[in-house]
Amino acid sequence: MKILIYGLVTGILFGFFLQKGRVLRYDKQLGALRLMDMTIVKFMLSTVLVAMVGVYLLKDLGLIKLSVKPTNLGANIIGGLLFGAGWGLLGYCPGTSAGALGEGRWDAFWGILGMLVGAAVFAEVYPALKTTVLTWGNLGKITLPQILGVSHWVIVPVFIVGALALFWLFEKMGL
Amino acid sequence: MIHRADDGWSPYLAGALSGLVLVLSVLIAGKYFGASTSFVRSAGMIEELLAPERVSQLAYFKSKTPKIEWQWMFVFGIFLGSLISASTSASFRWQALPDMWQDRFGRSISKRAIVAFLGAAVAMFGARLAGG
Repeated sequence: MKILIYGLVTGILFGFFLQKGRVLRYDKQLGALRLMDMTIVKFMLSTVLVAMVGVYLLKDLGLIKLSVKPTNLGANIIGGLLFGAGWGLLGYCPGTSAGALGEGRWDAFWGILGMLVGAAVFAEVYPALKTTVLTWGNLGKITLPQILGVSHWVIVPVFIVGALALFWLFEKMGL
Repeated sequence: MIHRADDGWSPYLAGALSGLVLVLSVLIAGKYFGASTSFVRSAGMIEELLAPERVSQLAYFKSKTPKIEWQWMFVFGIFLGSLISASTSASFRWQALPDMWQDRFGRSISKRAIVAFLGAAVAMFGARLAGG
């Protein structure tokens, strides 16, 4: 029960900030895909920068564990391409479709229905995928610091500098 | 530049605050953010009403049990949080067609419904395949 309330409160806070950042909208998501408006990229990268530093600090203090998803080249590449094509048509991603509905953009409802169907279809074909695509290029739970053999505190600043350079570029170009 | 009332907050600020929420979530609840698994669980819960035998046959629903857990509440919370933010800042708008869509594809709601539905199904399949 407690964990469900944590989920709800965390979601409310995140949904609140997503709406304040104006990133839930079709026009913003398509704007990024059309390289016209980088609002969602600014939001996402800002979240990543703060979370990356915070999570690694807490990890070093022994307070939390990382949750690393396995790298599976076949599944990641094919799945990523499919996700991108579908996202470009829908204009919302799974989390933002719920948020878009919350601010009254009810075309997200068609998206939620479609996602339920997509999930059901995936469950049906999962046994076939498990023995094919999901075995192609399985590299396990790897991270950049691990494959480069350096401390994560070498990678984190590089990532921060890269993101800040990108922000500077976006502002300069009026995106 | 003309200042519009509907500009919201800086995406850098709202994004950074979201990052802080994520860090606190990991610290307090041990939970990282995600959304797409909840659509699998919801699809399973709906299928359980229609064809419970089928759900028990499918291996994928063994690992993604059709039930309400942390992430499902998180996704529901995103809906509520957005609703609260939008309705307290006069940016809630009941809208069937996004502006950019309407400019390009016209006023047909069914056209938008079909494209959104199909795009969503493909996107969710891809997300599940890619693992997140």
